[in-house]
Amino acid sequence: MSKRQLAMVMDLNKCIGCQTCTVACKTQWTNRNGREYMYWNNVETYPGTGYPKNWMDLGGGFDAAGDLQAGVVPNIEADYGVPWDYNHDELQFGAELKPNVEPTWGPNWDEDEGAGNFPSDNYFFYIPRICNHCTNPGCLSACPRDAIFKREQDGVVLVDLDRCQGYRYCIAGCPYKKIYFNPKISKSEKCILCFPRVEKGLPPACAQQCVGRIRFVGFLDDKEGQVYKLVHQYKVALPLRSDYGTQPNVYYVPPTEAPPKFDADGRVIKGSNRVPIEELEKLFGKEVHNAMKTLREEKEKRRKTGESELMDILIAYKHEDMFRLDQDYYQSIAKSQGISLAPVDHRYMAGKMTSNKYKFKVVEYD
Amino acid sequence: MTKLKTALLTTTLVASSVMASNAVLAHKTDRDVTKLAPTSKAWSYVKATTIYLYPQTTIRFNDKRANELNENPHAKEARVKAIYNGRSIAFLLEWPDGTKSIQKGCKSDVYGDGFAVQLPVNYKDASKLPYIGMGSDGRPVVIHLQKAAQPIYEPNGNGDVGMQQGTLNKNKFDKEVEKFDKEVSILAVTDYQRSFISEGFRSMTEIKDGSEKFSADMAYGNNGWKGKVARPLKDDYLKLNGAFPVAFATWDGERLQRDGLKYLSNWIPVKLIGQNGGGKLVEDLTKPVKGDVENGKNLVQQNGCTGCHYIPGLSQPSAMAPGLANIGGYSTAAYLKESIVEPNAVVVPGYNRNAHPNTPWYNVVDGKRVSTMPPYPLDDKSLNDMVAYLKTLKAEVK
Repeated sequence: MSKRQLAMVMDLNKCIGCQTCTVACKTQWTNRNGREYMYWNNVETYPGTGYPKNWMDLGGGFDAAGDLQAGVVPNIEADYGVPWDYNHDELQFGAELKPNVEPTWGPNWDEDEGAGNFPSDNYFFYIPRICNHCTNPGCLSACPRDAIFKREQDGVVLVDLDRCQGYRYCIAGCPYKKIYFNPKISKSEKCILCFPRVEKGLPPACAQQCVGRIRFVGFLDDKEGQVYKLVHQYKVALPLRSDYGTQPNVYYVPPTEAPPKFDADGRVIKGSNRVPIEELEKLFGKEVHNAMKTLREEKEKRRKTGESELMDILIAYKHEDMFRLDQDYYQSIAKSQGISLAPVDHRYMAGKMTSNKYKFKVVEYD
Repeated sequence: MTKLKTALLTTTLVASSVMASNAVLAHKTDRDVTKLAPTSKAWSYVKATTIYLYPQTTIRFNDKRANELNENPHAKEARVKAIYNGRSIAFLLEWPDGTKSIQKGCKSDVYGDGFAVQLPVNYKDASKLPYIGMGSDGRPVVIHLQKAAQPIYEPNGNGDVGMQQGTLNKNKFDKEVEKFDKEVSILAVTDYQRSFISEGFRSMTEIKDGSEKFSADMAYGNNGWKGKVARPLKDDYLKLNGAFPVAFATWDGERLQRDGLKYLSNWIPVKLIGQNGGGKLVEDLTKPVKGDVENGKNLVQQNGCTGCHYIPGLSQPSAMAPGLANIGGYSTAAYLKESIVEPNAVVVPGYNRNAHPNTPWYNVVDGKRVSTMPPYPLDDKSLNDMVAYLKTLKAEVK
């Protein structure tokens, strides 16, 4: 466990599945050098296959006794999808529009399909997913090389690319399948929570760019922060699949608001909700009942009295309140360690000039 | 070539009369051995030594498919040859593998075949050799690794991929971009060929400053691989003379093998023909263990070894201690004895403690790993019998 923990809250009631976060992440980190197929941030339709395909069935994580479970390393063609491009340049010369790779699968292949029957009870909602920067990461526990570490200062989980040998046990060990193999460099890579931005006081690109303003970022121990209030005070933000036992640090406000179902004559069934509560329980645990109750009560309170701190937070008025990052905090750490605050974690550099000595010292985790 | 042939023939004759053990006999030549390819004709004049590679079954990894493909694997018979001159030594390892697997293309779940050669930094005392799985605390090893993988792209050529550069974060345009990309591609593309220094698997560190000069190559044919490694006899890390131990490992990509999921030999002595010394080492590493196997088996059960260790037929696999299914194949008698009497001498790098918190393999005391196994200070006869039994624990050769 790290000294402090950065966390993100995503309000699923407001996610419109526009993929702006996905694009912000892709253009920042994964459009090059063997990462082309990776989506460190993706937005998937639920119910659906997700990304990679059926990730919830691919194993990893811990059982109730705390033992790491075996998992599967997904296949790029079948499970992630090979990125393809179109021949736009040739169209002016009369060519037909065609992809350069025959697309057989890709992220959001089943976007907006959902479940149920139109128009009576069909439904879906979006789940944006990034690395959960877990308190007990499956990837870290699976790595035989100690190449994955959790930063003391903010709990960000990073791959030490110098130590990584590309064994891919981390991918099998992560129940969220949010760590990827880069075939070009033969090493594993993952969401870095935009730590070079965070250290400068900026939120991760996915959060900054979110047009629905659904993402809150801050330290879990910052009692003035909105993340703390949503997670610990109001308890309306819940971790995804906490039954995997990794103690994830991305929290979701469950989708409370869905239209009612229609009966055979197309009439509204009063009091009905299209999103089955069992599905929400599967994703967010039993706590989802209380979270939804609180959300509805606060909404009602706001409607009646015009006042509700929770609703004000979820409306997300100002970025400066939604993102509570402390540049001074990082700078003070850099100063105390006598290093200049560069946007490169120092463990990325460790061992690169190995000479004649065994520089690497094993760090024991508690 | 004629000259090399003659030189080799003479040494072969001398060698066979001097040594008749299972040591690898390194033939002396006055030719450059660093340029030898795995398929060079010169190898056909060198006598081969048969060695056995056992599936390493110390821990069960968390890759479901790989585990399915590696249930109850057989051991492999391989052949080793060695040639040296005044400066360098070259090894040839020939091992069977019915499937040629190369890690290439945009694939996430493909693994290449490969092999490694391991040499201990200190080998004077054969009873204190480094742990076979990449050395142990205070007992470093040098490892040369060659994988059948496509060239690895490391955009600044130093291997520190954390500092990757792309044209997007360079203020470059048009011709400059082309030039930059060209420079990067020249720097970046390297063979999957690495040297490591290691005091136990977890401390394994890649040597990247060019201080370890070696060459390696592998070639496939006739349902098997030939792998060659050539390295200096003396450098900053190793001083090889007289006789010294070597160990080999191979990976089968078809079985999704990588890391500890591999075939591994025991420490095998190499005798440099024409050099003195090392006789005791060769003897220590090749003499058969004599003891009462049946009594040893009883003692192993009476002392509760199977409470934590997996021995096929006696106990179930657990996450508490190293699995012993193939321990006899890749461990020396001295190591087995030491591990019973003094479990802390080598704490085998096993599971990350987060992976199995309820069955701790070790505890951390003052930053050091201390085995959860207590010492068993038994009498010499009992120890000898137990070791004799443990040496029988190994997979069949196929």
